Amino acid sequence: MDLEFDEATLAFREQVRDWLATNVPERPLESFNTARGFEQHRAWEAKLADAGYAAVAWPAAYGGRDASLLEWLVFEEEYYAAGAPARVNQNGIFMLAPTLFSHGTEEQRARILPEMARSDRVWAQAWSEPDAGSDIAALRSTATRTEGGWLLSGQKTWSSRAAFADSAFGLFRSEPDSERHKGLTYLMFDLDAEGVQVRPIAQLDGEYGFAEIFLDNVFVPDSDVLGEPNDGWRVAMTTANNERGLSLRSPGRFLASAERLVDLWCREGDPTDTALGERVADAWIGARAYQLYTFNTVSRLAEGGELGPESSVNKLYWSHLDVALHETALDLLGPSAELTGESAPDTGRWSSGYLFSLAGPIYGGTDQIQRNIVAERLLGLPRESTASKNRGAT
Amino acid sequence: MPGTTDEQEELARTIRSVLEREPGPDRLTSQAAPSHGYDAKLWSVLCEQVGVAALAVPERFDGLGAGVRELQVAAEELGKDLTPNPLLGSAALATRALLESGDEQACERILPRIATGEALATLAWAGADGRWDPDEPACTARQDGAQHALDGTAHYVLDGDLADVLVVAAAHAGSVALFEVDPGQGAVTREHTPAMDQERRLATVSLHGARGTRLAGADGATALRRARDTACAVLAAEQAGAAARALEVTVEYTKNRVQFGRPIGSFQALKHRMADMHVLVETARSVSYAAGEAIDAGSEEAEQAVLAATVHCSDALSRVASEMIQLHGGIAITWEHDAHRYFKRAHSSAQLFGQPHEHLERLLRV
Repeated sequence: MDLEFDEATLAFREQVRDWLATNVPERPLESFNTARGFEQHRAWEAKLADAGYAAVAWPAAYGGRDASLLEWLVFEEEYYAAGAPARVNQNGIFMLAPTLFSHGTEEQRARILPEMARSDRVWAQAWSEPDAGSDIAALRSTATRTEGGWLLSGQKTWSSRAAFADSAFGLFRSEPDSERHKGLTYLMFDLDAEGVQVRPIAQLDGEYGFAEIFLDNVFVPDSDVLGEPNDGWRVAMTTANNERGLSLRSPGRFLASAERLVDLWCREGDPTDTALGERVADAWIGARAYQLYTFNTVSRLAEGGELGPESSVNKLYWSHLDVALHETALDLLGPSAELTGESAPDTGRWSSGYLFSLAGPIYGGTDQIQRNIVAERLLGLPRESTASKNRGAT
Repeated sequence: MPGTTDEQEELARTIRSVLEREPGPDRLTSQAAPSHGYDAKLWSVLCEQVGVAALAVPERFDGLGAGVRELQVAAEELGKDLTPNPLLGSAALATRALLESGDEQACERILPRIATGEALATLAWAGADGRWDPDEPACTARQDGAQHALDGTAHYVLDGDLADVLVVAAAHAGSVALFEVDPGQGAVTREHTPAMDQERRLATVSLHGARGTRLAGADGATALRRARDTACAVLAAEQAGAAARALEVTVEYTKNRVQFGRPIGSFQALKHRMADMHVLVETARSVSYAAGEAIDAGSEEAEQAVLAATVHCSDALSRVASEMIQLHGGIAITWEHDAHRYFKRAHSSAQLFGQPHEHLERLLRV
């Protein structure tokens, strides 16, 4: 890419590239949605942490290396370009950690972050409930005050990584008769605590990427409340913005996929099929556009300011881009796209990636939710509910 | 890093304030009254007070010595209201071609007048197929004494019938060269060609053994390639500006238009489409800036960056402008509403300098 970087950033890029070249496993690890693959990924994370690469943007005191956001993006580009393993602790590193930085106590940061960086403790998210999906404020799981802490009861679902993870974080209704966004508390809990039952859910690829969590009077000490009690919605918004936006889906991932797609076209594409060739080029442009937009956002953040509703723009963009990239690859491969495993082209990366991409427009807030956020908070269009309340007045 | 510097923001503000202060050009009245090109008075104010025509002219030729990014800033601002102007053809395309020719004497003679805005330049290049191929210009040249004689008809020449300085790309002795041709001579006929987008003035320029002076210096095809890159980057910024305004106008309209007892912008069926438009507008802006920066930095990947910007911004404006019409409903299919202007500009811009599928094919090759 021709983005202008200063010497220090370029040197950092070289250093990361060299380390990855010697350390990324030659054979891909097994999927982290299997028990064995999960432990392989945990070991990889420890190796990353030992080299100081697990969470480059964190302060060194917690296991990071005080990298700027820009350096973080550079790291991510190199990471995905090197084909390094997916991040098993991404819920922790990219969602919980930013929330701890914004709302956590010093004690919490010191206790939680270093072991997160090494993935000694892997985190699952516990947002959705059976009747609170897109409408997360409809959640009904409760946190009841007890001596020295809280008792959690209820049911969470679609909890990514919960099948094998150690701990989880989510919102609970702590004021008994509260409505919607009020009276919620952000809590962290152990998945092996007494009263917790985890039931893995097989995803459409057959693996256990998420789980249901049943909670029955699970004790959580006060020290595991993030932010103030009953202020959970505001605290959670930090996490939501991080999941949708920059953190979880850095441009490096899509750039790497786009480059692989161009390679695939050069190797296997029929040069006379210009329509398909144009889709390949279009997908590459899409990945580049996403990278440039994200770099612009990062420049703005670097000048001060927080990631707000703009992150919904990122999410809308990448979730569609990811599907389009994989659809194009599958069309390019034709019949062999159906094959999976060792004998498949690129060891089945495209078909499994395609299945995974289908989840993109759904998790972390569906496309429809993102569009509402963009329309209402960035464009200033009226809310549907407010508008219907005003109906009588007009 | 793609982005905008403080100086560039200041430039944008200055242009905006000129546009707000100066009375707008005569509004298009009907199909029967075609545009007379740009508003000469407004253009001279922009040249005198802001120096828009001098932006990409080096200081040694009395210019401001700024870069393509600054031209983009001007194009983005002018693009918001689709203010007709000769920036693209003269200050971007023809100026770049002259500079890239490497003919210092010609630059010394011509560029200072372009920079002040006294003279308008254009580049005659493409044939009727509109391919803007650097290796196959529409015209040909042959040696004729100390000078050259040129033949052929160039199409889609920006402000071609108005320009004072005519630069012609012509095939000559197995390669491509650039020539300065006096448009006033009898062997040159120029004709304004009406187009769907009435605010981007196009003409055909026909040469019947016209006398031309060959610009000394570098290979003409390379100069054309670079001139096209600059023009495409500037056009991409104009598209980003136009798309941003088209969305803004649409949002404003749907906030105020009440049906079924509420603003229609509150309906998800409409607001979700505007959210998608916003995603296009934001990414178009980032991609266009990156193209300008890559050219200014002399990056090896400039051509790639320009192609990406050309395709992405053409697509963004086309989609945003057609959504603008649909979301406005009936009013948008009238002459009096601006929506058709954006729609027509989207179409004309996507065709200028080559079609999107041609850019995509080139991108696969680079």
